[in-house]
Amino acid sequence: QEFQFGPCRVEGVVLQELWEAFSAMKDIQAKDNITSVRLLRKEVLQNVSDAESCYLIRALLKFYLTTVFKNYLDKAADSRIRKSFSTLANNFFVIVSKLQPSQENEMFSISESARRRFLLFQRAFKQLDIQAAQTKAFGEVDILLTWMEKFYQF
Amino acid sequence: VAILPAPQNLSVQSTNMKHLLMWSPVIVPGEIIYYFVEYQGEYESLYMSHIWIPSSWCSPTEGPECDITDDVTATVPYNLRVRATVGAQTSAWSTLQHPFNRNSTVLTPPVMEVTKDGFHLVIKLEDLGPQFEFLVAYWRREPGAKEHVKVVKSRGIPVHLGTMEPGAAYCVKVRTFVKAIGRHSPFSQAECVKVQGETLPLTL
Repeated sequence: QEFQFGPCRVEGVVLQELWEAFSAMKDIQAKDNITSVRLLRKEVLQNVSDAESCYLIRALLKFYLTTVFKNYLDKAADSRIRKSFSTLANNFFVIVSKLQPSQENEMFSISESARRRFLLFQRAFKQLDIQAAQTKAFGEVDILLTWMEKFYQF
Repeated sequence: VAILPAPQNLSVQSTNMKHLLMWSPVIVPGEIIYYFVEYQGEYESLYMSHIWIPSSWCSPTEGPECDITDDVTATVPYNLRVRATVGAQTSAWSTLQHPFNRNSTVLTPPVMEVTKDGFHLVIKLEDLGPQFEFLVAYWRREPGAKEHVKVVKSRGIPVHLGTMEPGAAYCVKVRTFVKAIGRHSPFSQAECVKVQGETLPLTL
């Protein structure tokens, strides 16, 4: 079992464990009142080429780690939730630390395409109040995991 | 009022992905001491270092040890700390000197049982949990024999390796592989079985 985001290979993370961790925190989706907006919409995740996928997943996971998950644990009093959050965050951390997308010039157009997709997501995030945006993005982790599953080899 | 001393000599013993945090017991004559264990992964220590998470099984616990296997759910360094309590008194926290990473676990050669079921070579492997795969190597015991390899993911149930020839002897050895940390154990000792009857060419 490993992730293969184009040329980027990530071992040591069990996708099923991420699903289980997120499922334990699913009530966060109920706190998302802005149902008309979706951050990880089609234009962000649909028809992503293998080559683009490494750039995109790295940008998304880094954003989740630095912005979406930030302060979450301050609000999560239940230790079962904290445990699940820790599993998810630390495994996202492992994935990001193992992603080494190519920085070569000929990959510029591909990385740019991935960056434009990420900016669509980031702009939509910034248009919301930070609390609402964190809650919505956190609630959309299932969309992210579903997309990541396409790159997971059993 | 004497201050309750903090637990000392914290260490982690990890074998086959089972991780046990241990410490020296705090002794107060006539009192039962309870311990609280907390952890933080690399993410928490980098982004929210004030956050510690109560251990699944040891908040509290009586003995001077804690199974943290269910808490260590990523291959990153984990900070671990323990404190003692008796009545209303609580000690200071003691923190493990070096963060623990599960990729340092000791992997031992797995226990196996090699049997014959008629002419069938069968192996049964111990159940070490979902993170373990087994790489089984088996061969006919004769000069220049080819070694066959089979990856076994099922646990604790007999696995058919191949059909043996009468009169021939066959040997098996096995090692484990843990995907989560990308490491494997040493091979076990080889175990051999012999099939009664006349020797014929191998048809594995």
